[in-house]
Amino acid sequence: MTTAVKDNDTSLMERVNHLTRQARLAAAVFSQYSQEDVDRIVKAMTAAAIENVEKLARAACDETRMGLFEDKMLKNFVASEFHYHQIKDKKTVGIIREFPEDNMVEIAEPVGVILALSPVTNPTSTVIFKSLAAAKTRNSIIFSPHLMAADASNLAARVVYEAAIEAGAPKGFIGWVEKSSRLRRETELMMVHPEVDLIFATGGTQMVKAACSSGKPVLGVGSGNTPVYVHKSTNVRQAAMDIIISKTFDNGTECPSEQTLVVDREIADSLIQQFKDYGCHDCSDEEVVKVAETIIDARTGGMNYRMVGQPANFIAEKAGITVAPETKILLCQMKGDLRQHKLAVEKLMPVLSYVVVDSVEDGLNRALDVNYAGGTGHTAGIFSEDEDVIEQFGTFINAGRIIVNSPTSIGGLGGIYNNLNTTLSFGCGTGGGNITTDNVGIKNLLNYKRVPRRKHFTLSFQTTKNIYINPGSIDHLRTIKTKRAFVVTSRSAARRGHLSMVLERLPQDCRVDVFSEVGAEPEWSTIEQALQVMSQSQPDTVIALGGGSVLDAAKVMRLFHDYPDLKLKEIAFNFLDFRHRMAEFPKGVKTQLVAIPTTSGTGSEVTPFAVLKDTKSQRKLSLIDETLLPTVAIIDANLTKSLPRDITSDTAFDALTHALEALVSTVASDYTDGLAFESMRLIFEALPEVLKNPTNVVWRHKLHNASCLAGMAIGNASVGVNHALAHSLGGHFDVPHGRANGVFLISTLQYNASIPHKFMVQSCYPLWVADEKYARAAQFLGLDEDGNLAGKGKGEKPNASNIKQLNLALRRAIYDLSIQCGQPMSIAELGISQENFAAAMPDLVRGAFEDMAVRTNPAVPLFEDLKDLFINAYAPRQRP
Amino acid sequence: MTEKKKKESGAAVKEQMSFRLPGPLVKGLDDVDKLMASISGDLQLDFSDCTFISVEGLEWLEEMLLRAQSKGVSVSFSNVTPSVYKVFKVAHIDSVMGACGLPISGPVC
Ligand SMILES: [Fe+2]
Repeated sequence: MTTAVKDNDTSLMERVNHLTRQARLAAAVFSQYSQEDVDRIVKAMTAAAIENVEKLARAACDETRMGLFEDKMLKNFVASEFHYHQIKDKKTVGIIREFPEDNMVEIAEPVGVILALSPVTNPTSTVIFKSLAAAKTRNSIIFSPHLMAADASNLAARVVYEAAIEAGAPKGFIGWVEKSSRLRRETELMMVHPEVDLIFATGGTQMVKAACSSGKPVLGVGSGNTPVYVHKSTNVRQAAMDIIISKTFDNGTECPSEQTLVVDREIADSLIQQFKDYGCHDCSDEEVVKVAETIIDARTGGMNYRMVGQPANFIAEKAGITVAPETKILLCQMKGDLRQHKLAVEKLMPVLSYVVVDSVEDGLNRALDVNYAGGTGHTAGIFSEDEDVIEQFGTFINAGRIIVNSPTSIGGLGGIYNNLNTTLSFGCGTGGGNITTDNVGIKNLLNYKRVPRRKHFTLSFQTTKNIYINPGSIDHLRTIKTKRAFVVTSRSAARRGHLSMVLERLPQDCRVDVFSEVGAEPEWSTIEQALQVMSQSQPDTVIALGGGSVLDAAKVMRLFHDYPDLKLKEIAFNFLDFRHRMAEFPKGVKTQLVAIPTTSGTGSEVTPFAVLKDTKSQRKLSLIDETLLPTVAIIDANLTKSLPRDITSDTAFDALTHALEALVSTVASDYTDGLAFESMRLIFEALPEVLKNPTNVVWRHKLHNASCLAGMAIGNASVGVNHALAHSLGGHFDVPHGRANGVFLISTLQYNASIPHKFMVQSCYPLWVADEKYARAAQFLGLDEDGNLAGKGKGEKPNASNIKQLNLALRRAIYDLSIQCGQPMSIAELGISQENFAAAMPDLVRGAFEDMAVRTNPAVPLFEDLKDLFINAYAPRQRP
Repeated sequence: MTEKKKKESGAAVKEQMSFRLPGPLVKGLDDVDKLMASISGDLQLDFSDCTFISVEGLEWLEEMLLRAQSKGVSVSFSNVTPSVYKVFKVAHIDSVMGACGLPISGPVC
């Protein structure tokens, strides 16, 4: 809304500036008040209001000639006594709420200067109510009263203000616009004044609309048109009395009061008779027409404002109908289509329309007709003993307050008939063009400053429960309890004699099925094949015998065998954070899984991971869950003795990568660090010896253990960017996983040890320590400056001055180990041509970027970073 | 409470007075008003001990700053406590913010 200031507005503008200036200074000063100060002030204001309830009610009636003095008094009590009772112990200063479970507090901040409109129907109670609410929340408030009630409203403001000042409130925190012919204009100027922070608009539709177009935040209210469904299950006598109490309250001026009753036919006659017995008049069809002509403004279709708040006899007289003296309510049955009936609108007077319905469905639909005819979001009521009907009514009707078995007008005010917050401002939500459906009060007059503390996830450590670790431990199979075993393996396991080693050791009476169709990369179609066999044999034990792919496949087979209805799609969602992942895995597994690795690399026997290829989409799916952890792992180095040299080295470099990446992972812990350190040490020591003496079971044993330890480390700390690069390269050029890892190691160690371009977003990783961790690895390995294994204990302790040197030493040691093992350290050595590599670059980078492995890397690898890492890994390397 | 200093600014020697507010500022301070009547140099108000300010205090500050301006006296506030500084921030009084060192023109926050 743009409001141009005209010349004759100058003095008006001065008044506006003065009022808002006073309010602004008071709001500023209020910011220093404590809860005790505020509570003392509110108490004094309440006491003053209670002392003056009668005087103020009289002033309101005299000035407006609307409503009923006695009820105005009650409203003043509601606004003071009831309101005070509700807010007196509420915290509104400093920390007002604590959320220990969320590690967060809320601190109150006043909204500042409030411009409050007060209506003609509740001129004094609204002012009392809003003044107390403003004081309690340390806000300043300027009242713009309704012209026809300005003196009464301002008297109320003065009464509570003087008491507040006496109790120490800041000067000018309550202000009011004096009654004058320019009151409306003054209000408009105030609405757009820069010193006004919030408009609290309770009043006529026009003023609320003007407030809403001011550009300021507005707490508005909508108009009402309360439907009340009187279901056949209700107690008719109670319903009639409650409705009379409500509809006659202050001669019907309360906007939540009943407007149209929707009455079940079964009880219609008795209900109307009860109304009549209690002094209401049921109009004949002709009288209904006369009443409608009198109380409805033919031009607007809305109520005739001259009839608002007038007694029933006055209205009857104006309508030219004869009723008994002291008639309480004029009841008007609406026949025909309710939606076209003149009386189906808001009537703030003791005229109550009603319709008769033949079923609950009909009743709900007619109530909806009224609910959506000008009062959406405001108030509705129901009288019923049938909980199901009450719930249906609550579900379909759009009203901020749905009052059950009690008067809607006094019920809506809150506090007397129910535990709604006491209010004189009824939020109607979006149905009524408002921001809230609340019974508006102190809660809405504060800014809430949330102070969340950093989240610290509980880190835990899980791994396979029973791990048998010495050469010959395959004998453990002799003692396992199984009647039906399902052995998952690859064709090479049979060739290398491993399968017979397993079968010989299984109990005599155990029925065994063997599935040896798992290839280098497990596919979903292979899993499905196996599941078919399993559904026939119903194994109690799955034995996985082979490398990482066999173990991964067996994990998935066991899970789907236990939960045949599980959908792969629903457990394979990509995720940013494991703790927030969408995938929902079942809780627990029934079939035991015995994992027997025949390579020393993946550590799959102790990880909760499985990677498989979706046959349809050809996409790699990563599954992560505790239910994938094997029950038993048998780490028997005898099974690795026949492993060829290249696979031995490739898989060992995979394990080495696991140790290095788990070490610097953002979710690494002391538990995983220890495993990573020892795993690295064993690899440095054992791998060269194994390559020299492939059948020496002692060194094989050390290497096998190293792989398992590193598996436990990544099972809990996960991997990082090196794996993302390796997965992408390996997928594109069909490079064995460990070998692909090896070509990036020296680059990623350098990358992760440099200050990241972008630090990883991870609440439980408050310190970037990747370079220190690598340095500690160098220390643990006992490296000298040049990267030579100087022997345990000789490693230098990392400090600010030697971190870079220790990092360099680690890279040199890895370079030397690679040379010693003949392990490729560059992509060029894998036989990938420069042309093919360059052509694949966009896919390679995207593949690595999308890989979940990067989520726990200490630095966020940007697209450019990944590209550089690929490029730097191409050419054969020099010693760092 | 009052302290005199000679401050050299270019060729002219200006007198700088400093005054420490004795406590909460709930009304105008006669001592400062008197000082303002006689001062020819600059005035620094030290808010170290002022932990509360009332509406009357704010109004007096604004009015005193107006008087100072008409006399050509530059007033600055020092050691304003956060609770009083927050009052100044919410109060939106340009001259008060100016005395806190905020440039009168240019972007403000
Ligand atoms: Fe790996």
